[in-house]
Amino acid sequence: MLVNDYRFGLLFFRKDGSALGSAPVTVDLDPAAESTRFEHARRGDVPPSGEGAASIEPIWDASQGAPYVTGFRVAYLSGGRKVTSDFPSSYFGEAASQTSAEFVKRGKLAAGDEYLFQAVAFAGNGNGKTGGGMDLEVVEETALPVVESRLGDFERRSSPAGLVDADDMPAFIPQRVLDEAAALTRGAEGRETGGILIGRLHRDAALPEIFAEVTAQIPAEHTRGTSARLTFTPETWSAASAAVRLRNQSEIYLGYWHSHPVREWCRSRECTPEKQKTCRLAKDFFSEDDAAVMRAAFPRAHSLGLVVNDTAFAGPSFSLFGWRGGRIHPRGFFLLEEPHAE
Amino acid sequence: MAQTETLEGISLTVSDVSGQKVYRVPKAPPEATVGELVQGLLSQMSLPAHDPNGQPLAYQARLEREGRHLNAAERVGDALETGDKLMLQPNIDAG
Repeated sequence: MLVNDYRFGLLFFRKDGSALGSAPVTVDLDPAAESTRFEHARRGDVPPSGEGAASIEPIWDASQGAPYVTGFRVAYLSGGRKVTSDFPSSYFGEAASQTSAEFVKRGKLAAGDEYLFQAVAFAGNGNGKTGGGMDLEVVEETALPVVESRLGDFERRSSPAGLVDADDMPAFIPQRVLDEAAALTRGAEGRETGGILIGRLHRDAALPEIFAEVTAQIPAEHTRGTSARLTFTPETWSAASAAVRLRNQSEIYLGYWHSHPVREWCRSRECTPEKQKTCRLAKDFFSEDDAAVMRAAFPRAHSLGLVVNDTAFAGPSFSLFGWRGGRIHPRGFFLLEEPHAE
Repeated sequence: MAQTETLEGISLTVSDVSGQKVYRVPKAPPEATVGELVQGLLSQMSLPAHDPNGQPLAYQARLEREGRHLNAAERVGDALETGDKLMLQPNIDAG
């Protein structure tokens, strides 16, 4: 449970330093708390499945003092041990971008103009967790099964795919899973399709490190797909849960995948072949909606979001995204070799 | 009405879709509707209530014991028993 006794706001300035205005902002701080818990669990500071409590403290600007902040600190208390992680003001960047759009609407800022922002914090209930007007007490019971393994055993039979950042939790995905996702993407013929990534979380206590092994993808059933949208329905989640239970291999949800039918997008917009190759949607594109699925369904910091890019100028390519510092970023992974079936 | 309902409320376990955020609700109010309970849980479980466009996200509560989605208008005291497990499942779009 996250306790936040502060409200945050942003002060906006033009590039020349003149004031634009200010606004209170509601920032989703839970991913920062989750990041703190998981990153310290990776280092062995706290148990991976420990029940703990997180709290937020502003980091006051050293020269200006309160209410000006350079970021915030998350303190996480688990099993009598307190750990902390610091998050810079850039964490407020998305909120700043959304708020700056209001200044554009009011003609105080031109679209595309650069602006500066300064975060501020004030004492007051920042949680906003009211129970929907209902006096509802809840107690968190973290359930995260982890298998004891050796990271080296996985690294020996894998190769990097994309830029693998050493700060990211290692993630291993077999070619078979990518091939299945690509085949389902081709079969969807220009409509978005997707599935659930399942597998196991491993811990190498000797390092220490926690890493993810994707073992399978479960095609998402009962979805509604168009060329630009894929709706996961409650029936989708029920069917996926039933499939995991049926497999009975102690697997957990590790994330989701979905396709971007870029060739269909390009056809409808009559993009030239050259334009298609440099289109920002053709690779490593994760929309606000894609991120919202991660936040609602896969909020744990180890969760992965895989995109199959179906372009007209090349075969299917893959872009992986994951949580880093409480936000979603493109990330690399390890392609895991599997023993050949006789 | 469920026989295990008490004046204090109904004890439940509620999880998100991944099953990795699990919460115990010691006293779910029997007089509330399932829709009110779900709305109350979203905030407490740190689950988003709105999509990126600010539109409300629709969640359904799946009752594991009966393998069905509860209707938002059902009364908690009528539909649920102490020890029940619910999963909150969003209807959500990837883009």
